[in-house]
Amino acid sequence: MYAAARHADYADARHVRVRSERISIRNAALDGLDHAELDGIGVRVRVGGSWGFAGVRGDGREQAHEALRRALDVVRRQPTAPAAPLASEQPAGGRWESPVGRDPFEVPLEDKLTVLAAAAEELRSEPAVALARASFRAWRTDKLFASTDGALCEQRLTECGGGITAVASKDGETQVRSFPSSHAGHVAQAGYEHFLGLGLAAAAPRVAEEAAALLRAPACPPGRTSLILAGEQLAMQVHESVGHAVELDRVLGREISYAGTSFIEPGAPGSLRLGSELMNVTADAGTAGGLGSYRWDDEGVEGQRLPIVREGVLSAFLSSRETAAETGLPRSGGCMRAESFDRQPIVRMTNVNLDPGEAGTLEQLVAATDRGVLIDTNRSWSIDSRRLQFQFEGEAAWEIADGERRRLLRNPSYAGMTPEFWARCDAVCSPAEWRLVSLIDCGKGEPGQVARVSHGSAPARFRDVEVGMA
Amino acid sequence: VNALEAAERALRAAGAGDRAFATATRERSLLLRFAASRPTQATAVDDLAVELAVLRDGHVGRASTNDVRDEAFSAAASRARVAADAAARAVGPGPYPGFPAPMPGPAHAGHDADTARLDPARGRAELEAAFGAAARAGVEAHGIWTAAEVETAVASEGGVAFDLVTDAFMKVICIAPSGRSGYASATAARAGALDGGSLAGRAAAKATAQGEPARLKPGDHPVVMEAQALGLLLELLGATAFNGLAHAEGRGALAGRLGTAVTAPSINLSDSPRFPRTLPRAFDAEGVPKAPLPLIEDGVAHGVVHDVSSAALAGASSTGHALAAGGSASGPLPANLVLAGGGAADEAALCAPIERGVYVTRLWYANVVRPAQSLVTAVSRDGTFLIENGRVTRPLADLRLTDSVLGILGRTQALSATPLLTSDGEFYGRRFASGVACPALRTGCVRFTGAAY
Repeated sequence: MYAAARHADYADARHVRVRSERISIRNAALDGLDHAELDGIGVRVRVGGSWGFAGVRGDGREQAHEALRRALDVVRRQPTAPAAPLASEQPAGGRWESPVGRDPFEVPLEDKLTVLAAAAEELRSEPAVALARASFRAWRTDKLFASTDGALCEQRLTECGGGITAVASKDGETQVRSFPSSHAGHVAQAGYEHFLGLGLAAAAPRVAEEAAALLRAPACPPGRTSLILAGEQLAMQVHESVGHAVELDRVLGREISYAGTSFIEPGAPGSLRLGSELMNVTADAGTAGGLGSYRWDDEGVEGQRLPIVREGVLSAFLSSRETAAETGLPRSGGCMRAESFDRQPIVRMTNVNLDPGEAGTLEQLVAATDRGVLIDTNRSWSIDSRRLQFQFEGEAAWEIADGERRRLLRNPSYAGMTPEFWARCDAVCSPAEWRLVSLIDCGKGEPGQVARVSHGSAPARFRDVEVGMA
Repeated sequence: VNALEAAERALRAAGAGDRAFATATRERSLLLRFAASRPTQATAVDDLAVELAVLRDGHVGRASTNDVRDEAFSAAASRARVAADAAARAVGPGPYPGFPAPMPGPAHAGHDADTARLDPARGRAELEAAFGAAARAGVEAHGIWTAAEVETAVASEGGVAFDLVTDAFMKVICIAPSGRSGYASATAARAGALDGGSLAGRAAAKATAQGEPARLKPGDHPVVMEAQALGLLLELLGATAFNGLAHAEGRGALAGRLGTAVTAPSINLSDSPRFPRTLPRAFDAEGVPKAPLPLIEDGVAHGVVHDVSSAALAGASSTGHALAAGGSASGPLPANLVLAGGGAADEAALCAPIERGVYVTRLWYANVVRPAQSLVTAVSRDGTFLIENGRVTRPLADLRLTDSVLGILGRTQALSATPLLTSDGEFYGRRFASGVACPALRTGCVRFTGAAY
């Protein structure tokens, strides 16, 4: 950093070491067993209003200087951008580790394979299941961050989890059911105890049975009805229509070239109604077990708990030091994360959670609904580049009639426009129903970066929603 | 350390009798990003990663590292060996038949020494050209310029193979004061083929098209798609229809349909790694040489792509489409799709017979809804227009399509003459540039299920 300070208005460096493991069982055979260890240094420099960044493998002084040299070379040979300040920040210092019970990397591979094979075997006990998959994922990320502002902090994050999927096929029809969710199951910032606690083998018979039942189930009928979203599907709804929409780099037009922009204007906090009064969303970098939890972001800003939506009104954005300064915020929201040593940090979601309401349990919510459908696992997702018009499809739905959960429906889809949809939210279940769901493949940035995030929510009901269009 | 040396050293570290396969990939890349006609981010990457795959009783364990010391290779080999052994003990014999002997494949023209210099000044010149053209049109330019050199080496007891490619990509999205946007991009093996000024000019023309945006109700409408939009749909078709693993498991969109008509007769689709405008590669991730492979001929489904795993399941041979040594969990994919051109001179000729329809220049956030039906959904973006009485007349509010790609190709009425290399320029993970070469297309109808207004 001493060398960097002589040449740049600001610079930071991250040494990142990532260890990961992916195990996948396909029917009765190993589908993949990958172990990776990647190690490198990323240096980011700011000269005037321009950023330069270089990532170089290795962890030595020589590699750090090489990364700095390349970052400076790149920034000096770009078109110039007007100087602009960064939001001020007290230099971070110290060390933090995410809580872990049993280290997932110390558990013998055979133990993990045995759990997965047992779950896959249970799935295959249903004759209609043509493909049974069970998977385990784990990551350990060590980061050392330093900046010319004087920050020096170190973090270790450990994440693991897994899931199962049953694909049933018959007469040209294919249906899928997953548990706990479809996007690699449930991964948490936790140790191996989290993976074991998922109870994959115990859930497998029900999952397989539902996959088979979907082959015979009627399609979700088109029309407008009440929609209850739970679990992963509600998490995906929050992620796509709220989480991304409130990223301040999008709002300011910095992501137009790839991920798009946002329907929200920079001056909207405090005045823009995003949903009904039951809509309360909090971005919390301290949610226990959340994949968006950390002590410091990749700019050395302390993770925070930010009210994003209060009683349906937008109250804050997810921000960085640069975007905070540009919009007059006194401090960054601490939302900058990079996928690895060779990517520069960009604005990312922490744990963007839908706060619980007072509608009781899911079954009480169903009982209070005359007509509708319930969807809880995501199968397909798409939203426009302003985060307005979306269309989702679930793996399965249940018809609700006269306050009872009745027949299974296949291919359930629904669509809407973000603020109109959230305005139709008239019930959110109580805290006892609140759960975290993980999404491990959130893509953004150029070159592309994948982030792992979590969203907490309790089941919610939306009135008069268009369903069954796909 | 270059990739070939790393792969050979890693293989030696694995030791005899491991039935090991080493893959080394070195990426050197530069990506300049801009927004509102100003540079915003610049990323230079230099990394070399080695993956060792070890086969035991039909199971493949893999371990990778970007530490190029011999002891790191030995440690990776040990991890891969432990993984394969554990799998063999835990689940019994596996189905993988064995790594093929790497073959170098025929020479190709996919490397350009000038591009490999990754000169930031070249990128700067293209950014400045784009900014200038945008300013002259009264719009803002957003986008990226990027170039890379990627070395790939594979090594096993059966031999070694080495490939060296470059790629370059630039896209420009212009935003007009009205808020309307337009898009243009170029993909090539040579950075010299990118012209920032020209791209910005084309994008600006779409953004500044005259007229208030019309609104069209969802429903079935005749459509002309520019190559960029069609390329994205064909990419999804590659995953849903031509993935040999999904096909062998009965989940693919062509399951039970090979040898039958699946599209209009004008559709001729192949995976053509040496088509002049594609990004060529010598071999796949298992060292199997790339070769042209017909997929749909005159509308009839001809074949799917395989890696060693899916080929073993299907009783076929690998076609050179592996994404990982030992096969990837998602199966093999075509990386050089080429849709042959047709008889229409250009997009204007394609529009001529349409009384009222939709002109789509780009699709966004495309996702598979039901793979067995090649059913996908996507939203139009950065230039959607209304076709009236045979010509593009005014901007149109963006629309969401939800339709079968095979269905859209089945209703195809005409294709423009020249396939263009299209790409979204997404570079996740270690860089693997690819694209779809296709012409523009007119189809009798596309099902739109929503509107973004």
